[in-house]
Amino acid sequence: MTQQPHLHACPDCDLLQTLPPLESKKRAHCTRCNAVLAEAPPRLPQLSLAAGLCGLILFIPATCLPLLQFTLAGQTGSNTLAEGVLRLWQQDFKLLALIVLLCSLLAPLLHLLLNTFIALCQHLNYCPPSFSRSIKLGNFMREWSMLEVYAIGILVAYVKMMDDGEIHILSGSYCLAGLMISLILCAQSFNAEQAWQFWQRRQT
Amino acid sequence: MNAATAKQHGLARCQHCGLLSAMPARDQHHLARCPRCHAHLYFRRHHSLQRSLALCLAAAVLLIPANVLTIMTVVNLGQGVPDTIMSGIIRLWQADLRAIAAVVFIASIVVPIIKIVALLLLMMVVQFRLSLSKQQCTALYRFVHLIGRWSMLDLFMISILVTVVSLGNIATVDTGPAATAFAGAVVLTMLAANSFDPRLIWDLEHHDKH
Repeated sequence: MTQQPHLHACPDCDLLQTLPPLESKKRAHCTRCNAVLAEAPPRLPQLSLAAGLCGLILFIPATCLPLLQFTLAGQTGSNTLAEGVLRLWQQDFKLLALIVLLCSLLAPLLHLLLNTFIALCQHLNYCPPSFSRSIKLGNFMREWSMLEVYAIGILVAYVKMMDDGEIHILSGSYCLAGLMISLILCAQSFNAEQAWQFWQRRQT
Repeated sequence: MNAATAKQHGLARCQHCGLLSAMPARDQHHLARCPRCHAHLYFRRHHSLQRSLALCLAAAVLLIPANVLTIMTVVNLGQGVPDTIMSGIIRLWQADLRAIAAVVFIASIVVPIIKIVALLLLMMVVQFRLSLSKQQCTALYRFVHLIGRWSMLDLFMISILVTVVSLGNIATVDTGPAATAFAGAVVLTMLAANSFDPRLIWDLEHHDKH
């Protein structure tokens, strides 16, 4: 099989086009449907690694510390990310619990872990056999990671319960906000094409 | 040939790693593998329309119980008030929380319906060769992808409320059967959007010319 490094096919409309070298411009777009064809390598190659590590550290308090506290008639309740899943499971909504588990816990965690692993491998110039599988799984997990939707969910829950009793935003929510910023930075500075080229160089 | 697609040149772009490589000459799609990441290589997603249509219809069916049945019951001092998606939104609106009511309305009612209608429209464009703007169809497809995840908002909110408001006899929140149906509908529409191949829209252009 021959490979065509100068030609690009648009992922959304399949138009073949040759690209000018990507030095000055940050991104190249498809001339027909405006899809992103290629991205220049990030200016700070370590940003992905740093954001990934930062996110992994913040992941612990964001999942262990309570997010919200609700007080009504002297009784107090609070929640963590994992407790919500557990509670749905106990109420016998197992399918729902699994979907919430995937989207709010597993997918963000694996996405961070795999992106950090990929960035670390490139940083150390070490290419384990699981490298290509990690990129694929990381891409999949990014699609199902919905922590930003969860954050808006916290906000909606907060506003909804405001009139019924006393509700406070606790430290876990702040950690979750930090985690979200790390996740966004990590996803934006991740260059899949660069990772794949690294994998290809080490294969031959 | 001014605007040629990769397919016309016998080239295929890998769905996983984006590498453009030549498809093996014989038409054995299922055997071809990407030379870089060893994923299956194909010109277009297989059975894209059939899969997407099936998932879309299943999601549309699930939206009925999701909107008719109770999604959440707030039990206050032993008295339960069952809420459907819509009655919850109306309650928020009446409590003067209009901004939040609008957010929940968009996320749980407008977004799923827009997604299903938009996907069905795109499938009709491909199937019946409707002459709509291909740029706009592609933009619509990207929009469907972008908004898909936001329907999970209501479910996350329920998972938060269920734990925060568990005050024994004073107040609890119970999940209703609509929640599972709604979650199913959201996941199915996301899968439907993933199975639809936007390149099919552009293939029409090349068919028209011949």
